[in-house]
Amino acid sequence: MTWTEATFGRITLALTALGFALLLALGVAFVWLVQETRSYAAAVVATQQIRVAATDLLGVLQDAETGQRGYLLTRDPAYLAPFTDAESRYDEALRDLASQVTADGGRVGPQRELRIQVEAKMAEMRETVRLAQAGDQDAALAMVRGGRGKALMDEIRLLLNGVEERTLARQAGRSQSLQRTGGLLTWSAIAGLMVIGLVTLGTLRIARSYTRDLGAAQAALQRANASLEQRVQERTGSLMAANEEIQRFAYIVSHDLRAPLVNVMGFTQELETAIGTVREVVQRAESEAPQLVTQEVRDAVQEDIPEAIGFIRSSTNRMDRLIGAILALFREGRRRLTPEPVALQGLLEGISGSLQHQLDHAGAELRLQPPFPTLQTDRLAIEQILGNLLDNATKYLQPGRPGRILVRARREAGMHAIDVVDNGRGIATRDHARVFELFRRSGPQDQKGEGIGLAHTRALARRMGGDIRLASRLGEGSVFTLLLPDALPAPDPASNPNGAPQLEDQPA
Amino acid sequence: MNVSAQAVTIVMIEDDDGHARLIEKNLKRAGVYNEVLHLNSGTAAVDHLFGPNRQGGAPVLVLLDLNLPDMSGIDILARLKADPELRLAPVIVLTTTDDDREIRRCYELGCSVYITKPVNYETFAQAVRQLGLFLAVIQVPPTAP
Repeated sequence: MTWTEATFGRITLALTALGFALLLALGVAFVWLVQETRSYAAAVVATQQIRVAATDLLGVLQDAETGQRGYLLTRDPAYLAPFTDAESRYDEALRDLASQVTADGGRVGPQRELRIQVEAKMAEMRETVRLAQAGDQDAALAMVRGGRGKALMDEIRLLLNGVEERTLARQAGRSQSLQRTGGLLTWSAIAGLMVIGLVTLGTLRIARSYTRDLGAAQAALQRANASLEQRVQERTGSLMAANEEIQRFAYIVSHDLRAPLVNVMGFTQELETAIGTVREVVQRAESEAPQLVTQEVRDAVQEDIPEAIGFIRSSTNRMDRLIGAILALFREGRRRLTPEPVALQGLLEGISGSLQHQLDHAGAELRLQPPFPTLQTDRLAIEQILGNLLDNATKYLQPGRPGRILVRARREAGMHAIDVVDNGRGIATRDHARVFELFRRSGPQDQKGEGIGLAHTRALARRMGGDIRLASRLGEGSVFTLLLPDALPAPDPASNPNGAPQLEDQPA
Repeated sequence: MNVSAQAVTIVMIEDDDGHARLIEKNLKRAGVYNEVLHLNSGTAAVDHLFGPNRQGGAPVLVLLDLNLPDMSGIDILARLKADPELRLAPVIVLTTTDDDREIRRCYELGCSVYITKPVNYETFAQAVRQLGLFLAVIQVPPTAP
C-alpha cells in the first residue's frame, strides 16, 4: 500500500481528532460523575434530615400525649406545659417534614394524610383537655378510653414509617444508580483509554509505513534518475555516433569530389600544353602553307579551344574553392570554443578599424552606439560573426545612397541582442531564410563570395548558445540581430573535438 | 649526366588512373626518367612491397595516395616504416585532403613530404628530385622537348 502525503495527513488528523474527542468525552463524563456524587451526598444528608424531621414530629406528638395524660391523671396544670408547648410546635414540624420530603422528591399524598391525622389527634387531645378543664373529668377519660386517640397515634406512626421507608428506598435507588454509573464510567474510561492507545499505535504505524513508503519512493526516484542518466548517456552516445557519421560522410564526399576534379584540372592543363603545340604548328602552317589553314581551324585553335579551356578552368577553380570551403567549415565546426571575457566595445572598435579602408572606399559610415556589454564567450567566434555581419553591411549597399551602419546592444529575453543595422540594399522576404543556407546568396551577384559567410555565422552563433535573426526590407536596409547568452553554454558532451560540423539547421 | 648507381624505382600507389597518368607525365616533363611502377590498389602495393616476390635491396621512392579503395594509405605507410629494409625509402604522400590531423599523422609515421592535390607539379617534381638524389636518382637529360 502506498500512502500519498495527503491521505497520510488526513488519516493522522482524523485519528488524532478521534483521540481528542474521546478524551474530551471522558473528561465531561467525570465532571458529570463528580457532580452526581456531590448530589448523592446532598441526598444522603436530605434523607437524614427527613428521618430527623419525622422523629421530631413524632416527639412533638408524644410530648403532647404525655402532657395530656399527666393532666388528665393529676389535674395539675403543671403537666399541661408539654402539651401547650407541643401545640405550638407541631405545625412547624409538619411543615418542615413536608418540605423536606417534597425537596427529596417524595410524594405529597401521604403528607396530606399525615397532616389530617395529626390535626385529628391534636383536636382529640385538645377536646379531652378542654373537658377536663371544664370539670367533666369522666367525659374526658371516657374519650380517652374510647381508643380513638390511640388509633390516630398508631395511624400516624404507620404513616411516618412509610415516609421513612420510602425515603430509604429512594436513597438505596440513588446509591445503586450511582454505583452503576460509576462502574459504567470506569469501563468506558478503560475502553476510551484503550481506544486512545490504539489510535496512538495506529498513528505510529501509519507514520512508520508512510516513512517506509517515502524511503521506497526516494529509492525508486534515485533508480529512475540513474536509469535516466544512463538513457541520456546512451542517447548522447548515439548522437555522437550520428555526428561522427555526418562528419565522415562530409569528409568523404568532399574528398571524393576532389579526386575527379584533380583529373579535370590536371588534364585541362595537359590540354592547354598540347594546344600550345598545335597552335605553333597552325601558325607555321599559316605562313608556309596558308591554304591548309581554314577559318574553322583558325577559330578552333585561337578562340574555341582557349575559351573552352578557360571556362573549364574557372568552373573547376570555383568547385575547388567550394569544396575547400566545405572542408574549412567542417574544421571550424570541430574547433573547441573557449570562453573568456570579451568586451564588445573594444572588439567592435578593432573590427571597425580593420574595415575602415573598405568603408572609406564604399563611402559608408559605421557608428557604434554604446554601451556594450562584456560577454563570457569565445573571442575568435564572436569576432568572426560580427566581422562577417559588418563586412556584409559594408559590401551590400543600396546604389546611390551613402551607407550608414549602426551597431548597438540591448537585452532581449535574458540574452544579449546585438543589432547590426544598415540602410543597404536589403533582402527580399522570400530570401530571409535562404541567405543563411550554405552556398545560397540573394540579390544581384555583383560581389565576390561563395555563399558561406552567413551559414557559417549562424552555425557559430548556435554553437555559442545563441542564434541570429534577420529583419529586412528590399531596398530599405537590414537588421541582423545576434543573440548571445551571458556565457558560453557548458561544453556539451555530444560535441567532442571531433563533433558535428555545424552546417545544417539545428533546433535553436 | 652519367650515374651508374642502382636506379631508383618510383613506386606509385594510386587508384585513380587519371592522377597516375598526370603524375607520370609531369615527372617526365620535369626530367625525372626513373622507372615508375604504378600499382592501382592497396592490395597490389602490399603484395609488391612486402610479398614473397619482392626485390629486396633495390632502392625505391614511394608515391602514396592515402585514399585507396581497399585500404588506408596510412596503414601502408606504417608498414613501410616498420620494415627493416624499406624504412629508409622516402615516401611522398599525395592526397586530396589537407586535414591537419591527417598531415600530422603522416609526418609522425615518417613520411618525407605531404602534398595536397591538385598538385603543383613544379613543387612536386622538385621534391622528387631532392629525395631521389638522396638515393642517387638517375637524371637523364631530356632528349626531346
